[in-house]
Amino acid sequence: MRRAARATVLGAVLIATGCDPVVSNEINALGGEAPGVRRGPLHRPGQPCLLCHDGALGDPPAFSVAGTVFNDPVDLGGADGVIVSLTDNNGIPYMATTNTAGNFYVTPDQWSPAFPLKVIIIGANTERIMQSEIGRDGACASCHVNPAGPSSPGVVCLTTVDGGTPP
Amino acid sequence: MRRRRLLFSALLLLPVIACSVPDGSAVVTPTLPTTSGFPYVAEVMEHRCGTLDCHGTVARNLRVYGDEGLRFAASDRPCVPAATTDTEVGQDYDSVVGLEPEEMSAVVAGHGANPDQLSMIAKPLGIESHMGGTVFSVGDDTYTCLTSWLSSATDTAACLRAMPSMICGVAPTSAFDAGVLDAAPD
Repeated sequence: MRRAARATVLGAVLIATGCDPVVSNEINALGGEAPGVRRGPLHRPGQPCLLCHDGALGDPPAFSVAGTVFNDPVDLGGADGVIVSLTDNNGIPYMATTNTAGNFYVTPDQWSPAFPLKVIIIGANTERIMQSEIGRDGACASCHVNPAGPSSPGVVCLTTVDGGTPP
Repeated sequence: MRRRRLLFSALLLLPVIACSVPDGSAVVTPTLPTTSGFPYVAEVMEHRCGTLDCHGTVARNLRVYGDEGLRFAASDRPCVPAATTDTEVGQDYDSVVGLEPEEMSAVVAGHGANPDQLSMIAKPLGIESHMGGTVFSVGDDTYTCLTSWLSSATDTAACLRAMPSMICGVAPTSAFDAGVLDAAPD
């Protein structure tokens, strides 16, 4: 009887933590940590944070919105101290600030938004308004990847190389 | 005894049913919705459904192209150029009418009656499960825009009201005023 209960619990845990092969492949494709950067707020700038920070059992803390702001799309230096102003579909705002890697993150405890979201990034001398809305994915890098192309506006950045406005 | 005989008959019938194949010569001729006014519908769908993390991706059913999201031309990118192209409107039309052709035909033949039998209406209304949640409600401008098109009388005023005041930094009305999007898709 006890063995059956254990097996049931083990099975439930396995199911709960069971990997979605699509997600697993996407995570594997991200590769390992960068040398000298340990897991934490500064790691993996520019990667789709919510792939791992999704709240699944055994995973790192869940984020509702997270991403990276770069200075420009070529040198890919993280933009420190940028205010990321978010407003959800109910008009409820939240402001996050990027760290030295350019990363910012919001946990569901802090803000659990109703999508779609509107976003403005505010640097020392620059303000950029995101031209479209975020439909349902809180990870910036799910859409914002380099190079820019038909399915991506490029990474989130404060300035462009030619001085134009990023989309 | 009678029940057993019935069960036996049913078991005999099962292989016959299982082995039947559809009529290979059958052809479905769909009744397509009007292309008139569809550019307005496309612009609304691009904004409400076609962000890059939703239907503006090649991996999802009901693929939606448009200025704010997924672009059709390899040289274009979101908001560059800052207007949906005629080709993209045509692709959106094909996506919409090709999603559920038989149901779409029934709704169009019924002059737009029972539009929520279409997934493209039922899902964003929240009647059917939808990853993107509830997007619009019965009677609002987006609903009116889409369902009026299905009844062959696109309410372009409702469509314009359903759009944001600026798309990619440009007032969406300017594209229609300039006739850029007035051409019906081929």
